[in-house]
Amino acid sequence: MLVFDQLNKGERPLRLLALGTGLGLAVLLAGLVRVQILGRHRFQQSLQTQSYKSVRVPAMRGRILDRSGRELAGNSPRYRLDVYLEELSREFTREYARIRKELLTARGAGSGAPPDLWTRLLAKMRREKPKSLISPQENELLWRQARFNVVSNVVVQVSTRVGMPLNLAESDLHRHWSNSRALPLAVLRKLSPQQVALLTEQSWSMRGISIELQPVRSYPHGALAAHLMGHLERADDYSEEEEEAFDYRLRDYRGVAGLERAFDSALRGTAGAKSILVNSAGYRVGETIASPAVPGQNLVTTLDLGLQQAVEASLALVNGDERGAVVVLDVRNGDILSAASAPAFDPGEWIDGVSRARWTNFYDVPKKTPLMNRITDGAYSPGSTFKIVTALTALEGGMDPARLYTVEPNPANPGKGAYFLGRHKIGDTAPPGEYNFRRAFIRSSNSYFIDQGLRAGYDRLLATAHRFHFGEPTRTQLPPGEDRTAWMPDGDEARSGRWQLGRLANFSIGQEVTVTPLQLAVMVATVANGGTVYYPRLVDRLETGDPLSVPRTEQVRPGQVRSLLGARPEHLAILRDVMRDDVLDDEGTGKAARIQDYGVCGKTGTAEIKGNGFKDKVTWFASFAPYESPRYAVIVMVESGGSGGGTCAPVARRIYEHLRDRDLASARGLASTP
Amino acid sequence: MTPIPTTMNRRDSGIDWPLWLAVLGLMVVGAAFISSTTGSAELARGARWYDWTATRQVMAYLLGLGLVFVLNLVDYGRLARWSLVAYWIAMALLVGVYIFGASRHGARRWLDLGPIQFQPSELAKLTFLFAMANFLSRPAGELRSPALFAKGLAMAVLPFVLILKQPDLGSALVFMPTTLVMMLVAGVPQRFLVKLVGGTLLLVTLILVDILVAPPGWRMIQLQDYQRHRLLVYFDADFAPRDATSEQRLRASQVKRQMSWNVEQAMISVGSGGITGKGWREGTQHRLGYLPRLGAHNDFIFSVIAEEKGFLGSVLVLALYATILFSGIKIAGEARDRLGLLLASGVVTLLFTHVFVNIGMNIKLMPVTGIPLPLLSAGGTSVICSLVALGILQNVHLYRRRY
Repeated sequence: MLVFDQLNKGERPLRLLALGTGLGLAVLLAGLVRVQILGRHRFQQSLQTQSYKSVRVPAMRGRILDRSGRELAGNSPRYRLDVYLEELSREFTREYARIRKELLTARGAGSGAPPDLWTRLLAKMRREKPKSLISPQENELLWRQARFNVVSNVVVQVSTRVGMPLNLAESDLHRHWSNSRALPLAVLRKLSPQQVALLTEQSWSMRGISIELQPVRSYPHGALAAHLMGHLERADDYSEEEEEAFDYRLRDYRGVAGLERAFDSALRGTAGAKSILVNSAGYRVGETIASPAVPGQNLVTTLDLGLQQAVEASLALVNGDERGAVVVLDVRNGDILSAASAPAFDPGEWIDGVSRARWTNFYDVPKKTPLMNRITDGAYSPGSTFKIVTALTALEGGMDPARLYTVEPNPANPGKGAYFLGRHKIGDTAPPGEYNFRRAFIRSSNSYFIDQGLRAGYDRLLATAHRFHFGEPTRTQLPPGEDRTAWMPDGDEARSGRWQLGRLANFSIGQEVTVTPLQLAVMVATVANGGTVYYPRLVDRLETGDPLSVPRTEQVRPGQVRSLLGARPEHLAILRDVMRDDVLDDEGTGKAARIQDYGVCGKTGTAEIKGNGFKDKVTWFASFAPYESPRYAVIVMVESGGSGGGTCAPVARRIYEHLRDRDLASARGLASTP
Repeated sequence: MTPIPTTMNRRDSGIDWPLWLAVLGLMVVGAAFISSTTGSAELARGARWYDWTATRQVMAYLLGLGLVFVLNLVDYGRLARWSLVAYWIAMALLVGVYIFGASRHGARRWLDLGPIQFQPSELAKLTFLFAMANFLSRPAGELRSPALFAKGLAMAVLPFVLILKQPDLGSALVFMPTTLVMMLVAGVPQRFLVKLVGGTLLLVTLILVDILVAPPGWRMIQLQDYQRHRLLVYFDADFAPRDATSEQRLRASQVKRQMSWNVEQAMISVGSGGITGKGWREGTQHRLGYLPRLGAHNDFIFSVIAEEKGFLGSVLVLALYATILFSGIKIAGEARDRLGLLLASGVVTLLFTHVFVNIGMNIKLMPVTGIPLPLLSAGGTSVICSLVALGILQNVHLYRRRY
């Protein structure tokens, strides 16, 4: 070392000093190498974790559209009033000082004149510490109180401004402050446009508040197709991975029923993340977007908005308080053009949560059960509509449609017929007399079809039912839990001998078993289209909002064949004929569905439900049209209706009127376009 | 024959250029990083330019340089005659601080003189240095007398105790290495020195034991809690008394976490700077308040430099100090008499102790004691006293040939 060599030998102490200094500096250098070079990644990481908080930002939910792109569920802007705590931190300190002083005054400290110089000197000599009158716990509480005073003052001012009482709970503020200080505190979640105008007026501004716009799920048609849409609820469950990755989460929603649930992940998209730079007090300093959220895909359904509206309006004409369901299928490919379940609910009201009162007064009413999707989740006795199955079994078994069958009169009611099975009597709604197949079908003679059922036997009847896939999920794209199998026994049960003839007789006329309206629609569509069982299709495709992204769409193939019925075409033709006659013939039970210029074909049904001390009816009208080239299958089911012909057929008639006008309009449209 | 010494003299002018260039470098660094630390907050507060901490620091630099100029008009031999007077004035001021001093954070270190606040312990270091050098500059033979050795020791113990009582443990401990080195250089017999080193070690151990483990009633040195806690953190000692209840233990561990905060944050600052740093005014640790707001521009200024300029910046600072220290040792070697030698080596030891303890505290080599980093830490008294100390070195250098 230069300095070292210049020191001559007589100055040994100086050499020691130089050595010591050099050593000391070397130690510092080594320390710096350790911290700044070897430890830099570790310290850079701890810098990140302590000053950045990551926030999960949910993506915009994909829309649900009808088959021509009209919106069934979308997103609408919602204005939210936020309070930014970091902007109020100075006020917190000021308020803290004020209430602390108040407390001290109340405790008698700081009262009287300031002490004179001599006493101060003496105090200093004795090294007396000023005694602290406030314990650390009290201090904590003072801060809490100060924060609450400041924020609630802001809230009161906002509340007078918007003319709406607002409440801020101290505990809520404290929770927010302790857990998510870096995020703004939402004071008012739903501002009306007028309130926004009031708050953004130039003459009024307030420190710490800001109006945030955020998209929120909206259902522009309210309760329309509510059971197919399903509804959302706040999502508070996250995977462990997400739990670790984020410090905070913004409010997200999750589908809990219907399509919202079945396609939840596609609709939800991918959540993004933003990083908030926070200072040592935990307040927000700045924000950066770490990864943008990817919006959810749009879901295009097979529904037709106009038809859906017509269907729901028609169903509502029963009595306005009906419980029931309607399905409109395209018989040529199984597309669900419309499906309604009543009573319905507005899915939009689930966004902010349903109040307890609303739940008990509306949702939790027995029998009404508005949340239940009666289309696929309601299991009902099909009643006389099931005679289509019995009829097909008989025809396949070689029954002669022209053969006459005599119905005995009912001793108790000579105007009506009855069927006698041993000592048992099964009543009939049709009068006694001579019946061929056609007359029995359109008058819906129970005796005739019981006779046919008993002749065919349990196994063959059941086999036909299974060929229509009764007793199986329809496998439409609703969540599995909402796609009921209903109850159709399997062969083992009958062969075990438990099924007496009485039960078989009831089975032949659609008692003892249950079906869902959609299952029945599939059956009618199969008869109408000549024997192809299609999977009912509710979803056409998932589309990505960004046209350049790959893959753009996920198509659900239309017209997927589930099975072929395997019935002879002439037998199905006979069935179609008698269904037409049921509507066309003045004697037919379904004549209320008859309309001008449109061959509506149908079968009515009235199933009786007897339980412990109650008696109820499920009324049906299972139909298709037009007769010449079947296109639509319409199932109408009303609980506690009068009769299939009286209650359901008129509903179907209005639907067919709409369908007829629609077809005419589109035919005219086609004709006018060269 | 005559022209040769003249040219030599001219080339070998009175100013020790490497020393003063390094000082200038440190001044630039100090002003730049104090403004980086405090500038934005002061701008936001709307403080006038003459109220900025950086401006005040530059004023202190200029005032200090002025004092250095004045100090070099008279040779150190003459100055030393007044050393004992200055020493006793400083001691009187220390006693004054004890009675009238302004209290900050529970320690009484400051004299409030209206617009200026003055820290007598800084002055005490300088005057002690001068008085001790003057005392020890007598012929080496006389130093064999135990009575004289005891007298010298007493000169050191008086300010040590007074400052320890403020309480300012860090500044008090600075006296120990300075006394030791000066006695070594003066040629005090080895047996005395061995005893002195042994005694010092024993004293330090006793002080630490007293602070760290003695029950509250037995403590002789009444440190403020926060000062005690800093030491506890450094030695990783238990905060709770041995017979503490579990609730007390919980509270103690919370306090410990809070107290280790400053050290941890300083480490994160220095470490996250990496090799090249985040850039001037780009450091986040002090801006976001992770470094203590009251300490970032003085005790923890090194953390700020290390964070914003990285390893290269820290090494530059170390190199500037090394230049000053080795220039000082060179000056000591070239001094014309024992007084000059003792003054120079005392100044070197004093500065080195400050540099080592302060930088060491930023990287957890040393406990946090609140010793300023010479010339870089914001603080008028410290800057002026550091410059005066360097002025003494310059004085020894300037008058080395005038026998």
